[in-house]
Amino acid sequence: MYLRYALRRILNALAIFVVEMFIFSVLFTATAERTLRAQIEESLQPEAARLRNATAEQVQRFVTERRAYLYHASHLDQPAFARVLWRTLDTLTFQFGNSITIKSSRGERGVWRIIAETVPPTVMLFTTSIVLQVLVGVWLGIKQAQRAGRTLDKSASIVTMVVYGLPTWWVAMLLIMLLAYALPIFPSGGMYALPPPNGLASAIDVLWHMALPVITLVLVNFWGVALLARNIVLGILQEDYISAARARGLSERAVLYGHAMRTAAPPLTTIALLSLLSSVFGNIIFEGIFSWPGMGNLYWISIEQGDTAVTLGLLAVTTGLYVAGLAFLDLIYGLLDPRIKTGTAP
Amino acid sequence: MSNQELPNARTAARPWLRDLLGELARQPAGVAGFLMLALFLAGAVFEKRLITFGETDSRWHDITYWDEQPADAAPFWTNAFASQKSAVSLLLSPSSSAHESSGGARLLTHVFTFPYRYDLPPRDLVVRFRGAGDLPVAVTMTRPDGQEITLDQEQVSAGSGSDVRVSVDKSAGQAALGFLQGNESVDVMAGVDADRIRPTSVLFSQAGPGMLAKPRALKGDYTIRLLVVLVTPTAQISRPTLVVTGRVSGLLGTDNSKRDLWSGVIAGIKWALLIGLLTAFVSVAIGVVWGVTAAYFGGPVNWLMQRIFEIFSNQPVLPLLIVISAIFKPHIWFLIVIMAVFFWTGPVKTVYAMALSLREETYIEASRALGAGSARLIFRHMVPMLIPYAFASMALSVPGAVVYESTVSLLGLGDATIVTWGQILHDAFTGGAVLGGLWWWVVPPGLMIALMGMTFSFIGFAMDRILHPKLRRR
Repeated sequence: MYLRYALRRILNALAIFVVEMFIFSVLFTATAERTLRAQIEESLQPEAARLRNATAEQVQRFVTERRAYLYHASHLDQPAFARVLWRTLDTLTFQFGNSITIKSSRGERGVWRIIAETVPPTVMLFTTSIVLQVLVGVWLGIKQAQRAGRTLDKSASIVTMVVYGLPTWWVAMLLIMLLAYALPIFPSGGMYALPPPNGLASAIDVLWHMALPVITLVLVNFWGVALLARNIVLGILQEDYISAARARGLSERAVLYGHAMRTAAPPLTTIALLSLLSSVFGNIIFEGIFSWPGMGNLYWISIEQGDTAVTLGLLAVTTGLYVAGLAFLDLIYGLLDPRIKTGTAP
Repeated sequence: MSNQELPNARTAARPWLRDLLGELARQPAGVAGFLMLALFLAGAVFEKRLITFGETDSRWHDITYWDEQPADAAPFWTNAFASQKSAVSLLLSPSSSAHESSGGARLLTHVFTFPYRYDLPPRDLVVRFRGAGDLPVAVTMTRPDGQEITLDQEQVSAGSGSDVRVSVDKSAGQAALGFLQGNESVDVMAGVDADRIRPTSVLFSQAGPGMLAKPRALKGDYTIRLLVVLVTPTAQISRPTLVVTGRVSGLLGTDNSKRDLWSGVIAGIKWALLIGLLTAFVSVAIGVVWGVTAAYFGGPVNWLMQRIFEIFSNQPVLPLLIVISAIFKPHIWFLIVIMAVFFWTGPVKTVYAMALSLREETYIEASRALGAGSARLIFRHMVPMLIPYAFASMALSVPGAVVYESTVSLLGLGDATIVTWGQILHDAFTGGAVLGGLWWWVVPPGLMIALMGMTFSFIGFAMDRILHPKLRRR
């Protein structure tokens, strides 16, 4: 039963991704092809220059033939609709072409290589902060629900509203000014000190550089998790079976963790993770403020340098990760809440 | 058989709305939100009166417009916390003017009085006027100690009418050097690099030996005279002004392109309101109609609408917005359209669930039995019931739209014909304000984004609390 549900959800995610990549191709093929043509012309110049003994006519013929060959190889000689389809297929198989100026740390020009390098730092930074946000947020949310309407609940609600429209990257700027410029406690950016230390010191160094970005993310975003947790737990605390448990004389602790949290856990986990997942993709640019060498930072670099191939590749990978993340959360939810896979959930 | 017997959705919705507003007035958060919104609206409406530079909006990116301001200057009120008070930027009109003619030529004298009560001199004094024809111009200064210095003498060709500017910092180098020579010993003068002397710091110091190494401010009223000889009958000057380019300037200081940040921040209010409100309104309207329509029709229509919804809701909006902005360099209106196209998925799920139960209500059935069409049922009977929810949803999606536009602008992809808070922060970040400690450049625009977000989250959460009374307390 679960397997069928899981399979359907995965196929659904794949279909969504294919359609999205097709839409991107329709939107961006013209731009991507302009870059591709420029790259082909650029590669033709040195090749033609190597033909020293040829006459001008021969060189001309070589360039024309070679251009036709390269155009054919990248499907540039086909009608517009076919080019869009080819481009969709290329994107789906992670063939994003070559960058113009940006190189990977090993000097490669392949866009996929460049992007693949930036995924681990992003995952590291955001998973660390998500774990902390969930822990702190759920803890605060439960406390708020237990004493709903009292001072703690009210003041936490006010802070939630205050930080609701706060751009994380601006808070990052403020904290850098405060904790890296005015009081130089943390490094202002990057992932390693220069020169990078070795062994255990290197791990500590990375954590050291990660501290301020993580503090910023947690500080701004855990309030949202707390609000979700509060509302879900509070809703459950008003159910009849909780009153029944209280009437039986169970301690408040036992009621909360033995009864309320059992029901609250599945929706809480998924909704909290869902909101954090979308906050990751809404905050991705934030890495650029700290020069944290992840995908968000690569957005900055590729846009500054006008490296369209990298930008478009990044968009495809980001979208893919998002679609996969949403599907993954649904799969967890299906595991935690058996009503989902049978379709009997409200 | 008339409307009187059937609950008409439109009349039913009105008390809903009145109730909602009444309840909001009882929520402190709602009241705070509406007060802040009123302040923002007032800021947008009275923008022209609030800002110090009238053409901020159209000329924010025109560097020549800001030329007379100091660069990287702190707000003037930081003087209150500084042990050494810095000269504040000022615009002065002539305190008196005189007019003499002798033998066809006319001599015009405009006198400016600059009360200097600071410890650190201004960066520059600029005498500015609009002139026509060939004009011999002289600028002199009388210090509080009675010494008179000729700052500059030159022949200006203003043609048929152009702005003439005499900058003390640029043209009074020789005069300052001469003044220094009269006070310092020959030994000291031998070590002076004439190019490195700041004329204003010499001219505003107490005269005497040691004034170069340890200048002490000479406080008092300085009189600056602008003398112009009008030789030909067509020659004339108008609007003479003395610009004091201070070390601190304006309510919020200036950035590294000499732009007045207070004017920029205030001019950004209306754009943030426009972006936020328009995006929220359009996207929630689409979302509500989408959800209701899907729920109302069900079947294959619902299936198709749900699939389209899935494609949009599975798209991370910000990255796409950034890439579209990078590639198409959209105008602000186009950006709002794109945001609306991707923001509409927010309310759909809730609206769909609410509409499913609405569909089963007896008044809908009755209306259908009377022959009401789908469009009438959807727009007259179902959508109005969702208006309170839609309002809360709109309020809560305003901050997102503002932050997203700011983020796009932060990457330098903003519409260059306007000024938004995100663009100011982009300039601050790339201009090194964060690591240079220029807080007056970083804090105010971001604070405005935060306050705008707060305004609408107060309103939205207050509405939300009214709509879900169970969540108030245990």
